[in-house]
Amino acid sequence: MHKSVIWTLAVWGTAVAAASAEQPPIRFNRDVRPIFAKHCTACHGGVKAASDLSFVYRDSVLGVVEPGEPDDSELMRRLTTEDAEERMPPDDHGGPLKKAEIAVIRRWIAEGARWSEPWSFVLPVEPPSPKVTQADWARSKMDALVLAAMEGHGLAPSPAAPPHEWLRRVCFDLIGLPPSLELWERFQRAYDADPQGAKEHVVDELLESPRYGEHWAAMWLDAARYADTYGFEKDPERTIWPWRDWVIRAFNADMPFDQFTIKQLAGDLLDQPGPDDLLATAFHRNTQNNTEGGTDDEEFRLHAVLDRVNTTWTVWQGTTFGCVQCHSHPYDPFPQEDYYRFLALFNQTEDCDQNDDFPKTKVAKDPARQAEVVRLEQQTRRRREQLNADGVRLASEVTSWQRLKPLELKPSHGTLEADADGWIRASGTLPVGVVYTLKLPAVSCSALRVSIRPEQDDPTTWPERGAVLSQFEWFHVSPDGKRQALAIKEVFADSLGGRYDPQDSLKGSADGFGGYPVLERPRWAVFVLETPWHAAGEQAADAGHFELVLRQKAASNSGTQACTLRRFALDSTDDDRWTTLAHDSRRQQSWQEYRRDLQAWNAIDGVLVPVMRERRTTARRATRIFLRGNFKRKGDEVEPGIPVVFMREGQPPVRNRLELARWLVSDANPLTARVFVNRIWGRLFGRGIVESEEDFGSAGLAPSHPELLDHLALRFSRHHRWSLKKLLREWVLSATYGQTSRITPEKLQADPNNRWLARGPRLRLTAEMVRDQALAASGLLSDKLGGPPVFPPQPAGIWKTVYSGAKWTTSTGPDRYRRAIYTYWRRTAGYPMMLTFDTPTRDACKVRRIPTNTPLQALVTLNDPAFFELAAALAKRMEQGGGSVDEKIARGYRILLLAEPAADAVETLKGVYADALKIYQADAELCQQVAKSPELAALVLVANTLLNMDRVMAR
Amino acid sequence: MDVDRSSVEREWLLHQTRRLFLKDSLLGLGGLWLATQGGRSASAADIARDPAHPWSVQPPHFKPKATRVIYVHLAGSPSQLELFDYKPVLEKYSGKDCPAQLLKGKQFAFIQGIPKLLGPVFPFHKAGQSGQWISDRLPHLEKVIDELCFIKSMWTDQFNHGPAQLLIQTGNQNVGSPAMGAWALYGLGTENDSLPGFIVLTSGGKNPDAGKSVWGSGFLPSVYQGIQCRSQGDPVLFLSNPKGVTSQLRRRTLDALAELNQQTAAELGDPETRTRIAQYEMAFRMQVKASEAFDITRESKRVHQAYGTEPGKESFANNCLLARRLVERGVRFVQLYDWGWDSHGASASEALNAGFKNKCAKMDRPMAALVKDLKDRGLLDETLIIWGGEFGRTSMQENRRGMKMKFIGRDHNPFAFTIWMAGGGVKAGYTHGETDELGFQSLVDPVSIPDFHATVLALLGFDHLRLTYPVQGVNQRLTNVTKPGSQVVKAVMA
Repeated sequence: MHKSVIWTLAVWGTAVAAASAEQPPIRFNRDVRPIFAKHCTACHGGVKAASDLSFVYRDSVLGVVEPGEPDDSELMRRLTTEDAEERMPPDDHGGPLKKAEIAVIRRWIAEGARWSEPWSFVLPVEPPSPKVTQADWARSKMDALVLAAMEGHGLAPSPAAPPHEWLRRVCFDLIGLPPSLELWERFQRAYDADPQGAKEHVVDELLESPRYGEHWAAMWLDAARYADTYGFEKDPERTIWPWRDWVIRAFNADMPFDQFTIKQLAGDLLDQPGPDDLLATAFHRNTQNNTEGGTDDEEFRLHAVLDRVNTTWTVWQGTTFGCVQCHSHPYDPFPQEDYYRFLALFNQTEDCDQNDDFPKTKVAKDPARQAEVVRLEQQTRRRREQLNADGVRLASEVTSWQRLKPLELKPSHGTLEADADGWIRASGTLPVGVVYTLKLPAVSCSALRVSIRPEQDDPTTWPERGAVLSQFEWFHVSPDGKRQALAIKEVFADSLGGRYDPQDSLKGSADGFGGYPVLERPRWAVFVLETPWHAAGEQAADAGHFELVLRQKAASNSGTQACTLRRFALDSTDDDRWTTLAHDSRRQQSWQEYRRDLQAWNAIDGVLVPVMRERRTTARRATRIFLRGNFKRKGDEVEPGIPVVFMREGQPPVRNRLELARWLVSDANPLTARVFVNRIWGRLFGRGIVESEEDFGSAGLAPSHPELLDHLALRFSRHHRWSLKKLLREWVLSATYGQTSRITPEKLQADPNNRWLARGPRLRLTAEMVRDQALAASGLLSDKLGGPPVFPPQPAGIWKTVYSGAKWTTSTGPDRYRRAIYTYWRRTAGYPMMLTFDTPTRDACKVRRIPTNTPLQALVTLNDPAFFELAAALAKRMEQGGGSVDEKIARGYRILLLAEPAADAVETLKGVYADALKIYQADAELCQQVAKSPELAALVLVANTLLNMDRVMAR
Repeated sequence: MDVDRSSVEREWLLHQTRRLFLKDSLLGLGGLWLATQGGRSASAADIARDPAHPWSVQPPHFKPKATRVIYVHLAGSPSQLELFDYKPVLEKYSGKDCPAQLLKGKQFAFIQGIPKLLGPVFPFHKAGQSGQWISDRLPHLEKVIDELCFIKSMWTDQFNHGPAQLLIQTGNQNVGSPAMGAWALYGLGTENDSLPGFIVLTSGGKNPDAGKSVWGSGFLPSVYQGIQCRSQGDPVLFLSNPKGVTSQLRRRTLDALAELNQQTAAELGDPETRTRIAQYEMAFRMQVKASEAFDITRESKRVHQAYGTEPGKESFANNCLLARRLVERGVRFVQLYDWGWDSHGASASEALNAGFKNKCAKMDRPMAALVKDLKDRGLLDETLIIWGGEFGRTSMQENRRGMKMKFIGRDHNPFAFTIWMAGGGVKAGYTHGETDELGFQSLVDPVSIPDFHATVLALLGFDHLRLTYPVQGVNQRLTNVTKPGSQVVKAVMA
């Protein structure tokens, strides 16, 4: 660890006392930090720092500790004083520390009070190869590190698993499906000649199978909280399955995990996004969207942004960052500002809890056209920005703006009042569709500027309710009452953003310029006349007047909240540069090209998928700290960045999602590789090296094999260059993985949870595996890859949802038998069988499923008609091979478990067969409900039994 | 295991009494609590749950006043101003513009600008010996009003259905926290080993707005989630054997499975195998017992008349009767959701002067029958009934999108609402708290959602600060750690 270049690992002072000969030196994280965490941080920590002392931060502790001088350290005095008033911890907070604990702290100070950040924040270091007794057992350094820990706990490895056990395990672990009998026969033959060669061959074959991506995607879908609906009350359908297919393709192509990370977090910000790179960002559009009438769009936009922050931390950093939302982290060194600086990185996307899930990208039906789609999307966006930028530039040059003070104000509802400066305020009940009719002096002008301001001037109260000018109409009324509409050539706005184009304020059919769904800051737009207006006559009375009609029909919060102008002003200018700009011929051409590109984009057949899209620099949101986590009470503005504890020397700035993604997968990040290999380890071995896969912080569990974790993290990120397939290949071919899972009573007692891996893993199948295995055994499994979600049989009445007319229509044909990952996932009513087998609801990120064992699971596999149907199909396969009842039973057993059944198992199953046969022979009507013949019906019961065996439910 | 393979005619009922793998867990909670008093009293979080019996009975922190809960949630939120919270001043100013200071800084789901006040739509009177106010919509409930304990000063900070339902059911307006029933099951276990310990029944044609997350287990292990039982089809999903599989045949296959799994356990030595054997036995008991528990045709004609039940239909009345049958069998927490109480006035079905009247009529009789029935059977003492919505309704008439509406309705009001409780250790015939003269905000003794949760947990024998589960480095609890300061409302406890 001392080789590491991290400056946070600084040694205090130079007086590092030599450790005494008998005792190894104190290690802060192992020996001291737990004492602080247990006895001190509740009052002197991140949430509460009584007397401004926090045992989470080095600088703070230095106030009470003199490195090398325990006798001069206030901390020692307060721990040991006889004065009950002064002694820490006080009696009502646990009382004095144990003598041994005080001794540890004394020695720690005497040895120089070396501090280090929590272990997981320190970069991994390659450990030396350990010394082991049974050296010939290990096939790799990984095995050696496992063995060293095993031997350290007085355990020895188990024998190698028999070939059927290993093959069934590796098939489930790599592709999520049981091996076919054909593969099993092939493997057996090869294994007899060359066991290790046969294993390598099978592993390579499995890694190349398209089924591999379908299996590994499931884990990622949990982390990404993937679902086919929005969530919340109405929970309508969301088309986001093309992203699920992207994940499957990425796993199948073995996309390196660093690329996988960058594309999903920031594919839209790449200089030249590839055809799939916009789609990849749908990862963070799996957040929920609240379409319930009256729900605050800004509140739920922020809800999604907070979810993105917390999910990013859980998925990539295994760190509980969510609590920093309200206060500094109680145990880990994250002050509260860290959270909001990090939030600022995610706070600039266009999405804002709109019912149509805006913004979206198109996924072309024909993959060959995807590159064109991306090019058109990027190009139209750029072109529209350039068209508007000309006006923004001119607006900053024009100085002749003149405030137009209204002569008369006529609102359709509520009240309008103008102040002395010509600012107009609206009050009273302003419904959706309110119209303001304004009478203004008809001055000579080329353009009119509409400025909108929030009602409050204090920026910490922003954003406010939206304010949108849906339609702007401009008339001249002559003294004789003749009303003439003035044509408007173009609209320029201070910034473009959101779903409405300012230009649309000229149409009656769409909403246009303004702040939607919220008004984030003062706004302006310039409406340029087709031909400048020249006021007639010398006298004002001769000029007539302008009449402006301002229609406001936008509604936010799912159509319930009127987005009206509540404070606005109008200025005119006669600067003819506006007219020149609007009529410029190159500009006209740009507009044509823009519209042509839009048309070309529209003409491409495809589906629209929600994605991340960054707001333009002119429309950036201000990010402020929420006081106590409440989004309505805001404090100081913050700049984007990563937590200070990670700001090492030479760290390039992290100012946006792309820089963030690159930092996550850089060598400077201590967590990403560790967290990911730990999660994969958990899937193969049942629990992670850090069991709390979601929390690598001080409150999580310490790693059982810290050196192994570092070795694997470095092996994955450096040696294998983030290739999951290479990592998995090494693991499943290891001696550790190859052990039998059979448990001796001695081993069970010594290590009930298999922490030390002195036996092979034996795990319950995941929900997907339970269904996929039954499908595979039935012979009905469809091998179609990807596409829209499917609807296997589900009991009636599961989808009772408010308002939505959505119905579960059971799929027919091969879609009835697709792999479980393709099952339609409704957040508020997930597929019951999968929920029963511990699939998360996908409401929020989940990186680990904790397997349960319940009677409700038994009811599914015994009685669910969707399962019984598969038992019947398996029975047919057992029947088709012919032979005696014994042979048919053995065939079914082999299909599921490869091995030949033991004699007593065959006896037991024959008993079921014989009794069932008797009953079905005696009752033809009953028999017909199961199968055509009593023999087959009895075999269905046997298949139903086989599919429920403990051996079958485990791998 | 002793299995006679040749005899399929064996009486399968015999197996119901087989408890080979199950400890007898019918010891009452009070007794269990007493049993813990010899040594140090354990906090629930200290107790390591046996993974094979995650629902086994657990002792609370102190002697419980209630051991079972029936929580009736009226999704959409009924108007307190039309049922229990009588406001003569509001009646007087009905039709006038709402005073501006009431609206200042307030956000509503649908109301815009300046709405008009709306007095009670139905007449009120005092009832019972306790003399509590009630409107003319609830003639049956009125007869048991002396059993009821009202809290008229409830308030919440969520004004949309989904988040408000989540808040009152899980202590958190966002999904991911366990429901109150999940906490009760985690904390106390359940006394029936053949039925789920936390059962949810819905009526009104729809699930609550927030979906199944309102009875989810959140961050607790999933075994503690509410099990939605249905009044049509299988009460518990997949309880029925497949077509063509008789109970006898099912028993036969389960015996074979037990044998096969015993062989596996002996060979491989994995304790999970033994757990699975136990779970399959419990599944079988559920098949038998749950079907019986959910069969309301076994009730007498008199009972059906009292509740207004019609077997075979999905109705609030049927669910009330089922709730009684379930608590009678030791189910820890029964949650009823009745959908259709969102009286905005946007259509006839959700108008105070139309659909609301029908909802009241359908709720009144069975709700009153449930209180009386439990009392008659001596179950009310230990069973806590809770009745209420997720928020209240405004003192103003709704003017959606700023316009006058065709029907009479009220918008969502988070600032004041009424709930009532009965039985299980609450003060009968008592009213706690008051709203302001217009019934718009809680004024006297306001009760927050975490206060309410702390109180329910106290009735079940828990210190709400000690019934915790570690999540993300924090010991989470029902009374949300981010909303500190919650207090047990001792005044409502008998």
